[in-house]
Amino acid sequence: MKMLVRTLDMEYETVSAFAAQAGFKTPSGDLIRRDTRGHLSSGLFPVWVLGGVAVVLLLLTTTGCGKTAAASYRLNMVESAKQRLKPEQEQQVATILAALFGTPDEPIAPSECGLDAAKLHLAAGPVRSDIVGRKNGLYREHCAHCHGVTGDGMGPTAAFLNPYPRDYRPGVFKFKSTERADKPTHADLVMVLRNGLAGSSMPSFALLSDAKIDALSEYVKYLSIRGEVELALMRAFFELDDEDQGRLPEDREFLIEEIVLPVAEAWQAAEDALIDVPEMAADIDMAASIAKGKELFYGNKANCVKCHGVTGLGDGQVNDYDDWNKVVLQAHKTVQGGLEQAGEASTWDMDADEADEHRAELAWLDRFQKVLDGNALPPRTIRPRNLRQGIYRGGMRPLDLYYRIHAGINGAPMPAAKGTVPPEDIWHIVNYIRSLPYDFNGTLGVDKPMVARDRL
Amino acid sequence: MKRFAAVFWSLLFLSVPVLGVATFIVGPAYDIWLPRDVSEHGAAVDGLFYFILALTGVVFIATEMVLFWFIWKYDESKSNGPGRYVHGSHTLEVVWTIIPAAVLLFLAIYQMNTWADVKMRRPNMTPTVEVVGRQFEWRLRYPGRDGMLGTPDDLHLVNDLHLPIDEDILIQLKSMDVLHSFFLPNVRIKQDAVPGMKIPVWFKAREEGVFDIVCAELCGWGHYKMKGRVTFEPREAFERWLERKYAEQEATQPRDSEMAMASGVVSHPTQIAKNQP
Repeated sequence: MKMLVRTLDMEYETVSAFAAQAGFKTPSGDLIRRDTRGHLSSGLFPVWVLGGVAVVLLLLTTTGCGKTAAASYRLNMVESAKQRLKPEQEQQVATILAALFGTPDEPIAPSECGLDAAKLHLAAGPVRSDIVGRKNGLYREHCAHCHGVTGDGMGPTAAFLNPYPRDYRPGVFKFKSTERADKPTHADLVMVLRNGLAGSSMPSFALLSDAKIDALSEYVKYLSIRGEVELALMRAFFELDDEDQGRLPEDREFLIEEIVLPVAEAWQAAEDALIDVPEMAADIDMAASIAKGKELFYGNKANCVKCHGVTGLGDGQVNDYDDWNKVVLQAHKTVQGGLEQAGEASTWDMDADEADEHRAELAWLDRFQKVLDGNALPPRTIRPRNLRQGIYRGGMRPLDLYYRIHAGINGAPMPAAKGTVPPEDIWHIVNYIRSLPYDFNGTLGVDKPMVARDRL
Repeated sequence: MKRFAAVFWSLLFLSVPVLGVATFIVGPAYDIWLPRDVSEHGAAVDGLFYFILALTGVVFIATEMVLFWFIWKYDESKSNGPGRYVHGSHTLEVVWTIIPAAVLLFLAIYQMNTWADVKMRRPNMTPTVEVVGRQFEWRLRYPGRDGMLGTPDDLHLVNDLHLPIDEDILIQLKSMDVLHSFFLPNVRIKQDAVPGMKIPVWFKAREEGVFDIVCAELCGWGHYKMKGRVTFEPREAFERWLERKYAEQEATQPRDSEMAMASGVVSHPTQIAKNQP
């Protein structure tokens, strides 16, 4: 040790001597220097006191010293801008919603909605534990980062995904066992959670317990009902008379009767409104069915090739949008069109009232543009499914494909074949589609790879 | 004051080996140790780990003790006069290079057989299952009755891997998008899933149980929750489960799923494979 200390002294000596010769101070300057006995020490404080202070400061910066704010629901800003709501009207909507549906940490559901409060309690709020071994806050743990705390499909990770996560607020769901315009059943939501949506970023939550999946499905329904009520409230301002003075009636009974009940009833009706699926004959001649299905696929009744392409690769039509993106796209077009029109007018030859209106219009367009920039994701086209891959978002069972063809996909351009194509024919199309991933000029299943590392 | 500083720092440095050894001793009591091993080759892998742990542990404690001793004994309050400058000892340097080199060489040769068992001696069989890593799930594909992957009777599942015990298992590992790593802690298996490559992974499980599949290569924001579940069960239970899952996959009626779950009987085999040329 003596040898090493000595060497250090010599190094220090050398550095400072060099520095003195070169004409500038060493970096440590006067803070660390040698004392009268020639040993290193610091000028002001012992080095280890400084070190201790540094450690304490580091700890403070990492742990912080305050609580984060409680989560709150975000208003549907795009709809609010569309309806030209004033700030006090927005505030009224927020107040009504808070009274009816509570907050993200403390959800309430009017009993008319038929939602299970215990399941909501399990799913809502921050991740915490009321009972040993049981975790609450499931939605925030598993779903909120994509679907958002409000269920608006605009969580922090949403912008990176294609397709975007589902926005529950319009109450439209794609993959279900009910007719196109109906709501999904509870079992449909559970199925999506359990299996995920193959080919999208929605993962499978099969490893969660049944109780947790149940609670999350219930919470999704709650967010959807809340979102639909919010839209209805915002649209209701248009129906007001002058004497209402721009305020909605706040009578709870009235609101529940007129606005919440229709929404809740649609959800409850879905439970009994499953599509009636006829049996596929057990002794069906598969080859003939596939041939018939191919005819129908290329035929005019079902007209599948228009979107899915003549080779089934999903390249027939690539410029369409799903309903959620259409809303934002339409809003962009409205703003663009409005700005062009307003830009052509000049206030020079307008009278006072016209000029005020013109300015108000410009202000509204500006506000709308800001809302679209900050509160909406850039619209993305939707591609028809590539049927040669064998990956189907709503499930790969023959039953799932039957549902998709019969009812179409709600919210997407996929039309319902119900009415145009008879049920047995739909089964033929289903069989043809299921054969497509294996339909190639070659020998099925025999693997003769050229590359050594492919051989197994 | 100087003596106090020396005592403080030397005890601080002493706490490193003391706490280090203490955590290794106390850890297993809190279930913080190697995960339970149910594989055939796991014992060899763990043996290597313990050997290296013992070797490095001894060296670690020895060097830390020497460090503590030097700080404790040779401090300013006790030093008397300037230190001697020494040019070092050539013999010492040669010795403390040769000995670690010999140890490393020994380790390299000692572990070769275990490495070959796990990574090079592939069993001659068709894959039991194909595992495809995808952000952020494990997609599984079982070959189905015809025993071939890539045919219409394949069973497609996500995250829920079942395998028979006491049999050689061969997994074909792929990735659909980015690097993942297929990690089965309880079977001592870890293999990166490289996009564009088909990598064989094999092992044999000796005991039943339900264990984790974890992703061991950072693959995006969902990497931390890219978990799956592997269930080892006897061959009959495994086959029954396969039948049940296949029946669910081929369901043509809503009640098929419930029926299939109850009885495990396939109700509508779709027979696409039979009718293809």
